[in-house]
Amino acid sequence: MLRFLASRLFRAALTIAMVVTFAFIVLRLSGDPAQIIMGADAPPEAVVAFRAAWGLDDPLWQQYFRYFAAILNGDLGRSMRDGRDAIDLVAERIPATLALTIPALFIKLALGIPAGVVAALHRNSFIDRAVMALAVAGFTVPSFVLGLLLVLVFAVQLGWLPSGGQESWRHAILPVITLGVGGAAVLARFTRSAMLEVLGQSYIRTASAKGVPWGAVVRNHALPNAAIPTVTIVGFMVGSLIAGAVVVESVFSWPGVGRLLVVAVANRDLAVVQCILLLVAATMVVSNLVVDLLYGVLDPRLRAAPQGAH
Amino acid sequence: MSALLEARDLVRRYWMRRGAFGRATEVRALDGVSLTLERGRTLGLVGESGCGKSTTGRLVLGLETPDGGQVAFEGTPMPPPGSRAWRAQRARLQMVFQDPLGALDRRLTIGSQVAEPLLIHGRPAGAAEVAALLTEVGLREDHGQRYPHQLSGGQRQRAVLARALATSPDLLVCDEPISALDVSIQAQVMNLLMELQARRGMAMLFISHDLRAVRQVSDRVAVMYLGRIVEEGAPDDVLREPAHPYARALVSALPHPGRRGQRILLSGDPPNPADRPTGCAFHPRCADAVARCRLEAPALRPHADGRLVACHLAHAPAPQFVEMGAA
Amino acid sequence: MPEAPLLAPPVVLAPKRTRRRLPLLAIFALSWLALMLATALLADVIAPYAYTALDLRARLAPPIGFGGDLRHLLGTDELGRDVLARLIYSIRTSLLIAFGATLIGAAIGTSLGLLAAHFRGLVEQAVLALVDFSASLPFLILALSVLAFFGNSLGLFVALLGLHAWERYARIARGLAIGANAQGYAAAVRQLGATPWRIYGQHILPNIASTLIVSMTLAFPEIILLESGLSFLGLGVQPPETSLGSMVGYGREYLTRAPWILLAPASVIVITTFCVSALGDWLRDRLDPTLN
Repeated sequence: MLRFLASRLFRAALTIAMVVTFAFIVLRLSGDPAQIIMGADAPPEAVVAFRAAWGLDDPLWQQYFRYFAAILNGDLGRSMRDGRDAIDLVAERIPATLALTIPALFIKLALGIPAGVVAALHRNSFIDRAVMALAVAGFTVPSFVLGLLLVLVFAVQLGWLPSGGQESWRHAILPVITLGVGGAAVLARFTRSAMLEVLGQSYIRTASAKGVPWGAVVRNHALPNAAIPTVTIVGFMVGSLIAGAVVVESVFSWPGVGRLLVVAVANRDLAVVQCILLLVAATMVVSNLVVDLLYGVLDPRLRAAPQGAH
Repeated sequence: MSALLEARDLVRRYWMRRGAFGRATEVRALDGVSLTLERGRTLGLVGESGCGKSTTGRLVLGLETPDGGQVAFEGTPMPPPGSRAWRAQRARLQMVFQDPLGALDRRLTIGSQVAEPLLIHGRPAGAAEVAALLTEVGLREDHGQRYPHQLSGGQRQRAVLARALATSPDLLVCDEPISALDVSIQAQVMNLLMELQARRGMAMLFISHDLRAVRQVSDRVAVMYLGRIVEEGAPDDVLREPAHPYARALVSALPHPGRRGQRILLSGDPPNPADRPTGCAFHPRCADAVARCRLEAPALRPHADGRLVACHLAHAPAPQFVEMGAA
Repeated sequence: MPEAPLLAPPVVLAPKRTRRRLPLLAIFALSWLALMLATALLADVIAPYAYTALDLRARLAPPIGFGGDLRHLLGTDELGRDVLARLIYSIRTSLLIAFGATLIGAAIGTSLGLLAAHFRGLVEQAVLALVDFSASLPFLILALSVLAFFGNSLGLFVALLGLHAWERYARIARGLAIGANAQGYAAAVRQLGATPWRIYGQHILPNIASTLIVSMTLAFPEIILLESGLSFLGLGVQPPETSLGSMVGYGREYLTRAPWILLAPASVIVITTFCVSALGDWLRDRLDPTLN
C-alpha cells in the first residue's frame, strides 16, 4: 500500500512539474517577455535594462530553474492590470466559483447516478430511452446555449429569476441548474454503460442463477463493481470544480475564477492565467490522487499489499 | 560441406516484473541452444509450449538478436534486424506461421499478398508469377482474387506458403504450421511441405509439439525442454528408443496400438522458465533423477549411436535405464 | 502503464454484404450534414447578402413569421446585417475549423501513436507521458492559456483545437500497431523484408483506419462545441469573421429584444452536434464493436 501511494505521489508531482514546464515553454515561445511586459511602446533602453534585471540574458536552463524555484516559493507574479499579486486575485474569486460548482456537483450526482442505474436495470424500457435521450441532449446542447435559453425563459419571459450577477442566492439558481443538468447527463450516460457492462459479467449471472434475490445481486455485486469506473469520472468532475464554470460564469456574469480567466486571457494578463492554470492542474492532480486511493479501497486487486488471496 | 546456417550457444533472456515496482526477474527463454541446418535438409524441433521452440525459430531467422551466442548464415553473422542488409536477406530466409489468418492482411487479396515479397525485393511480380506460385501450392488461380476470410484454413496456409516461397528462400522456418488446422487438412499440408522441399531443395526448420508430424518431415530431430536441447538425433532413433527421460515421456504419450509398456505420466509442475530448477531442469519431474541431477546441469554429449543427449543417466551403462523405462 | 484494451483487429467490411436498411435517425443525420456541407461549400452562391452588408433601415428586423418580411428571412441584427447570410458564413467557418482541427488531431495523434509503437522504449515513454499530461488537464483551460500566451489568429486557433483529443488517436494507434507488430499481419510483412514505410503505410494504417474514423466522428462534435464555446467567450474567431459561437456571443446582448440573432446559430450548433454524434454511434456499431 505504501509503495502504491508513493508511486501515485510521484506521478502527481511529475504532472505538476510538466504543467510548470509547459507554462515556461509557452511563455518563452510566445515572444520576448521583456517586450510583452514592458509593452510594445517601451523605449529600447528600458527593455534592455529589464532583460538584465530579470536575468533574461542568462542561459535558458538557468532561467528555467529560477522560474521553477519562484513557483515553489509561491511567487506567481503580479497582475499586469492592477499590480496585485496574481495569487491573491485568484484566491478571492474561489469562493464565488465554489458557490456554483459544489451545488452543481450535488445535482450531477443526485440526478446522474440514479438515472444511469435505473436506465441500465430497465434496459430498452421507456425509462431507459428517456434517460438516454436526455443524456444525448445534455451532451449536444452546449452550456452557453442552455444557460441563455434558461435566461430567455425564466428571466426574460417569466421574470421569475435574475439573469446575471451575484447579489443573492436567487442569482445562483440558473447557473447552478445549467452546470448541474449538463453534468448529470454525462454522468447518467457513463453510469449506464458501466452498469450494463457489469450486469453482463458472468459473476452476476452466477449469483442470480444460484438463487440470490435480484435486489441483493444488484446491491452486493453490480453496484460496487460499476462504482469503480464511475468514480473516475466523478473524480474528474471534482477536479474541475474550479475550472468547470468558465463558460457558465461568463454567461451569468458571475465573478468567479472562470470569469477572471476569460478576462485575463482577453487582456493577456499572463501572471493571472498562469496562476489559474497551476491551480487547476493542482486540483486536478489532487483529485486524481484521491481517485487512485479510492480505487484501492473499491478494488482489492489493485491493493499491492500482500493480504492473502481471496 | 559447410552448413547453410549455424547457431551456437544461443541465449535469450527476458526481464519480467512482478507488480509495478517489483524486482525484475530474469527469464531465460533459451539457455545455450546450438543447432546446424544443412542445405536441403529438415531439422525438427519438438517440445511443449514455452520450451523456447518459437524463440529458437525467430533467432535462427534473425528476427531477434540473441543475448548470447551467434547465428551465422552461410558463414556470415546475421545483420542487425531492420537494417538494409537484413531486409535484403529476408528474400532468402522465410517463415510459415501457426495462424495463417493472423499472418495475412484481411483487407488485401491473396494475389496481392503473394506478390508483395516480389515487389519488396524488386522482382517481376506480374499475374503470371502469382499464378505460378498459387498453383505450386495447390491453389487455383482465381483464389488470388479472394480475401483471406473467404478461404478455408488449409487454403490460407497454402497462401502463406506461396508468399513465403515467392522469393525462393534457402531456408524455410515452419512454426507449428499445422496445429491450427483441422486434422483432416493437416496431412495434406504436411505432404505439400515435403513435396515442395523435394522440388525446391530448401532447408527447413520444422517446429512442432507433434512428434509424429516432426518425424514425418525431418532428417534430424531435436527435443527441447526449458530452453535447452536435451536430445538430438535421427528421427527413427529418437522415436524408437529415446535416451532422455523427457523424450521417453513424450514418445510414450503417442498413441501406438502395438507398443508394449505404459505411458509415462509426468508428475510435478509444468516447466516455468521464470523459475528454473537447479542442475538438470527436468529433475523435479524425472522419475530416475539422482542426487547429481539436482546439482549439475548435464551437457549435450554424443551418445553411442551418434545422437546427442543431455542426461547424466543416459551416459551411464545402458541396461540400468531400460528397466526404468516404465515408471 | 495501462495497455489500450483495443488489441482486437478491427472488423473489416466484406465487399459483399446484405445491406441493412438505414435507420431513420441516420437518414436524418446524413441529410442534415449534407445540407450543412452544401451550405459551407456554396456559401458565396446561396447567401442572400454579404455577411458584413449593413441595412441600417432594417435594424433588428424580426424573422419571417414573427413580423418580418421576405427581405430578411431570419431577421437582422443590431447593425441590420442579415442573420441568414451571417448564419451561412458562420456555418462555413465553424465546419472548416472543425474539419481542419479534427484532421490535425487525428494526424498528430496517429503519428505519435505509431512512432511509440515502432520505437518503443524512450520514445514510447515520452508519448505516454504526454498522453497522461493532456488527459490530466481540462482541455478548455489548456486552450485558454495558450490563447492568452500567443494571442489569437485563425491558424493558431485551428491548430490548438486540433490538439483536442489527439491522445485518443495516439492510444488507439499505438495499441493496434503494437498488436499487429507482435503477432499479426504486420510481423509477417516485416519478415518479408518490407520497409517501415510499407508496413505502416500499406498495412497497419489501412487496417486501423476504420477505428480512427469512428474516433474522428466522436471528436468532431466536441470540437464544434469547443470552437463555439471559445468564440462565444470572444476568444475564438474574431470579427469581422463570424462563426456559430461568436454569433451566439454577440446575439446575447440582444437576448431580450431580438432573440432570433442567437437562436438561429444556437439551433444549428445543437442539431449539427447531435447529428454527428448520432452518426458516430451508428458507425461505431456497424464498423467497430471493439470501441466503446
